[in-house]
Amino acid sequence: MRQLFMPVFVSLWLMGCADQTWQTKDISGLMPPLAFDLVDENGNDVTADQFLGKSTLLFFGFTHCPDICPTTLARLDAVIQRLEGAYRDDIQVLFVSVDPRRDDPTTLSTYTNAFGPQFIGLTGDKAALDKLTRRYRVTYGYGEEDSSGNYDVSHSSAVFAFNEQGEARVLIRDSDPMDAVAADIKRLVNEG
Amino acid sequence: MLPTPLANLPRPMRILCLTLLLFFAMPSVLFAADLQISDARIRLLPGDIPAAGYVTLTNAGENDTTLIGAESAAFDNVSIHQSVTQDGVATMQHVDQLTVAAGEKVKLAPGGYHLMLMKRKHPIDVGDEIEITLLLRNGQQLNAKFHAGAPTTQ
Repeated sequence: MRQLFMPVFVSLWLMGCADQTWQTKDISGLMPPLAFDLVDENGNDVTADQFLGKSTLLFFGFTHCPDICPTTLARLDAVIQRLEGAYRDDIQVLFVSVDPRRDDPTTLSTYTNAFGPQFIGLTGDKAALDKLTRRYRVTYGYGEEDSSGNYDVSHSSAVFAFNEQGEARVLIRDSDPMDAVAADIKRLVNEG
Repeated sequence: MLPTPLANLPRPMRILCLTLLLFFAMPSVLFAADLQISDARIRLLPGDIPAAGYVTLTNAGENDTTLIGAESAAFDNVSIHQSVTQDGVATMQHVDQLTVAAGEKVKLAPGGYHLMLMKRKHPIDVGDEIEITLLLRNGQQLNAKFHAGAPTTQ
């Protein structure tokens, strides 16, 4: 019994140190680092480099999306609100509109401001959006216009999370429990 | 007095019969009461961006009830939509009808069925109560007050 004690104790202790596994889908090494050439809410050309130094949550959507997009953004807001103040300043949510026809900088700015200071709207022309969506192996597309000119936009429903250096870390899905998302975002910020 | 056989009945009986007739003449009241509405809310988005309406429909009656649309004096266009996520891609589909089976409950909730509320006719603020009429296949209409919430509400 006594001979067993130390090995068991040491193993448990080591496991305790190594229990830091991501609770959402780990994409470290599977997805490329953050890179893009887009237009921000002020109409300025921006690149991913300008957004390094904070943990980044990247989401593809469009503003004329009454259900999925605000649901996802509201979930991220709820998670951010759960974090202590210092963490909140180290997180940014990049909302990339794949509907530049309707989402001009002003619309994007009004939209993201409604969710909070961490939310930043970006968009770009077709070439820039195609390049970025292909990079993260997601798709987007446009539905047919109805009589009033409204159309649906299909888009990726997941959120890609990157650390401060822009390295891909996890993929957060709508089905992930809030506790798991909060734990991973906290870990992401701690990782630096 | 009344040129009907009812006139011959004693007064309390006559009132009872007339009351019953009134109910039979208005089945809408009876049917509509079978579908109970709860948790009716709107998640507002800024400007004229379409908002989503959510509500829980509970069919306490013995007949299936089918929602075929909705309208509101506050919006030019109201339709039933469903968000569908397949292989990580989210799309929205128009829903022509949504049946609430007898004794069942259907939730119009984030990530699934919702009312797409387009083109506001007047500004709406967080906290406002907006009346929306649900149209049922049996011709009945159900009015409900939807509470307008902030974009960050779940």
